[in-house]
Amino acid sequence: MKRGLFVLLGAVLLLGGVTTALAQADSYENVDPSGQTITFWHQHSQSREAALDKIVEAFNASNPYKITVKAEYQGSYGDIFRKMLPVLDTADSPNIVVAYQNQAATYALGNGVVDMNPLVDSAKWGLSAADKADFFPGFYKADVFPSFGGARYGFPPNRSMEVLYYNSDWLKELRANGKISFDGPPTTPEQFQEAACAATKSPYSKATTSGAIGYELSIDASRLASWTFAFGGNIFDDATNKFTYDSEGAVKAMTFLQDLFKAGCATIVTEAYGDQTDFGAGRTLFTVGSSSGLPYYKSAVDEGAKFSWSVAAIPHTTPDPVMNVYGASVSIPSGHSKEANLAAWLFIKYYTGATAQAEWAMASEYFPVRKSVANELTDYFASHPAYKTAFDLLPYGIAEPPVPGYDFVRDEVASDMAAIMDGASVTDTLKTANATANEILADQLKNLPKN
Amino acid sequence: MALNARPAGRAGVPRRVWQEWLTGYLFVLPSVIIIGIFGLFPIGYAIYMSLYSWRVRKGSYIGFENYLKTFGDVTGAAAFFGGLLLVLVAHWLWTDAFGAGRGERRRYAQAAGALVLLAAGVAVALGWQRMVHTGDRAFLQGLVRTVYYGFGSVPIQIALALVLASLLFQKIRGQELFRMFYFLPYVVPAVAGAAVFRTIFSPRPEFLANTVLSWFHIPPQRWLFETKPVLEVLFGGLLRHVGIEHVSGFWAGPSLALVTIIFFGIWTFTGYNAVIFLAGLGGIPRDLYEAAAIDGANRVQSFRFITVPMLSPVTFYLTVLGFIGTFQAFTHIYVMRQPAVRDAVDTASIVIFDTFYKRNNWSLAAAQSVVLFGIILILTLYQSRFFGRSVFRG
Repeated sequence: MKRGLFVLLGAVLLLGGVTTALAQADSYENVDPSGQTITFWHQHSQSREAALDKIVEAFNASNPYKITVKAEYQGSYGDIFRKMLPVLDTADSPNIVVAYQNQAATYALGNGVVDMNPLVDSAKWGLSAADKADFFPGFYKADVFPSFGGARYGFPPNRSMEVLYYNSDWLKELRANGKISFDGPPTTPEQFQEAACAATKSPYSKATTSGAIGYELSIDASRLASWTFAFGGNIFDDATNKFTYDSEGAVKAMTFLQDLFKAGCATIVTEAYGDQTDFGAGRTLFTVGSSSGLPYYKSAVDEGAKFSWSVAAIPHTTPDPVMNVYGASVSIPSGHSKEANLAAWLFIKYYTGATAQAEWAMASEYFPVRKSVANELTDYFASHPAYKTAFDLLPYGIAEPPVPGYDFVRDEVASDMAAIMDGASVTDTLKTANATANEILADQLKNLPKN
Repeated sequence: MALNARPAGRAGVPRRVWQEWLTGYLFVLPSVIIIGIFGLFPIGYAIYMSLYSWRVRKGSYIGFENYLKTFGDVTGAAAFFGGLLLVLVAHWLWTDAFGAGRGERRRYAQAAGALVLLAAGVAVALGWQRMVHTGDRAFLQGLVRTVYYGFGSVPIQIALALVLASLLFQKIRGQELFRMFYFLPYVVPAVAGAAVFRTIFSPRPEFLANTVLSWFHIPPQRWLFETKPVLEVLFGGLLRHVGIEHVSGFWAGPSLALVTIIFFGIWTFTGYNAVIFLAGLGGIPRDLYEAAAIDGANRVQSFRFITVPMLSPVTFYLTVLGFIGTFQAFTHIYVMRQPAVRDAVDTASIVIFDTFYKRNNWSLAAAQSVVLFGIILILTLYQSRFFGRSVFRG
């Protein structure tokens, strides 16, 4: 009996020891980040780079652990991605890297990124419950990867959102001439169609170029996602981990756009940022694009037809708007010591803190990721009303799927979108697109790391 | 005698000869090392990668699975490549079998050659169909577009360059200036040139290409945004008149978007080829032309019977390099392709790039690269076999 008790006690102790050891393998509680030097690869240039450098300097000067962050411009997102692939899981990789969710997922396929959950949730180093709640939910969740068992492979320092850009003066003109039946920007697809078709027939009086078109659509997977969200659909099902490009919402959205094209009220964008130029010249009434384009739209209008304009939610059939938010996050590549990983996290925590976020938002014109930052942007909102309008839509944001191979899926989907606008069957095309997207995803996940 | 007087090295080779060999090898060693590291090693490594499951990280050994994935089933690939081999056999039967005489045996050989060629055509067509059905459709269609691109641009580049060079070789004022102008497109960075072409061939009616068309009352075209095959673009009205709404398949030709990119290729390389031809023209002895003139040959005849044959080594060189270049073409196609045009301009190299960076399938991309490499080798072999012999070598 006694012997049995000892065996049981021994087993419990052993089990406890193993569990503790496993927990400690992922734990950062007793790690000391002091004196670490951290490299940060990013894509920000010009004024954004200067603003980031200021934040880095402030961190280097103020952190009590004497951590030194070295921010390095490494080219575009694509350049960084290509530079990262050969150095994955090696000491040659940076300690922090800017990465879109699908890029981080690709790194994860090669065990090239650290799961940040233990850092974010650490009692000593992580975020408090109040801090976590301060993040916009859509932003905060975007870097958690269901395909990788809920691992967090990134953390958001900023975001952008797909919004509807509209020419207020032209809309007023159309209303005054009895061409449309509503005031302000369109809120429903029907109103959008009405205005787009009216504008095509009634050019803007102060346009600086000939011709008129209601809507210029840039062929892009994010546009498809945005319109699908607006029609109550989604392009991915987190529960099944599968694309849903053939969902009812997607079919309705693409049918709506195809009808606009058939009616001659919309056209595709033919040059890079050609929609911005046409919008500024008063040739296009509506465009849909990233909120990060706000300063560029402002320049286009100032240099063009000089009219009143603003942004709004994409016309939707849902009770509330559903906005497509996106943006690159920062990831912690693997191949470094736990001390270095912790130091990297402490910088990220600082970078995404309320003070740094306010500075970063104003300098970069990206959206901050914390709700509380709004309090510090009052003056900025007053001088940038379009930014404020877009900011108010942030609580309605959802994200595109963070899955590996999404770049390739995007290309395929963009092709299918182009085919639909050329008159191909919406249902059949989206069905094929969905099958292809899921094939690509399944192909990617075949090599999912086992650990 | 003097050589025999020196002590012989190993296997009776004189020491001086050994020293000469050693010196020679030492001279070529740096090149061998550089070519080995940067030329041969990547090829070997690509072959190695293609045999593994490799998606960011090296996985398990999978043998020829990636090649099967590329070609589809073995039967189709065997028929296709067997057909290509039969073309060589047909050529051999037609030209070399039983000598070059005119006897009855030769006629039989030529008849057999014709039959083999027919069989080759059938095998290639059937094999290709099967491959497209079962293999990597994107890559195989990319190969078709590569063929369009190569055959659509190289012959035109060569012909235009020859004409240009002949004109520039005349005693005309400002010859050097013209040479520079024609060479400029080759010097312009591909990205910049392609970006300008994108603007020229914008689908907007007010842009250059469509403005030129408007002078001839031709409606504006979508150019780089047009996925329709060129046959349909050119003769759509006529085809519809006879009840054909859409044309498709290989003989419908490339999309107008790809044709626009072919224009870019022609624009870039014609001047370069012309400069090379000019160098070749300078090497033709003048007395040949003088003799022809004495014999009463006019300028066209001199061009046809002296210039063209005497330039055949240059033409052959430019053709071989031209096809290799078009099969590897990437930068300007990458810059000029638009999402709206779908995959209508995606040549094999573009597909390989996407397989690598977007599909993250490194081993499949490596296998596709090896296949493209093999195709370029076969093409060069074909050119050498079919045209190499007619080259005038002095």
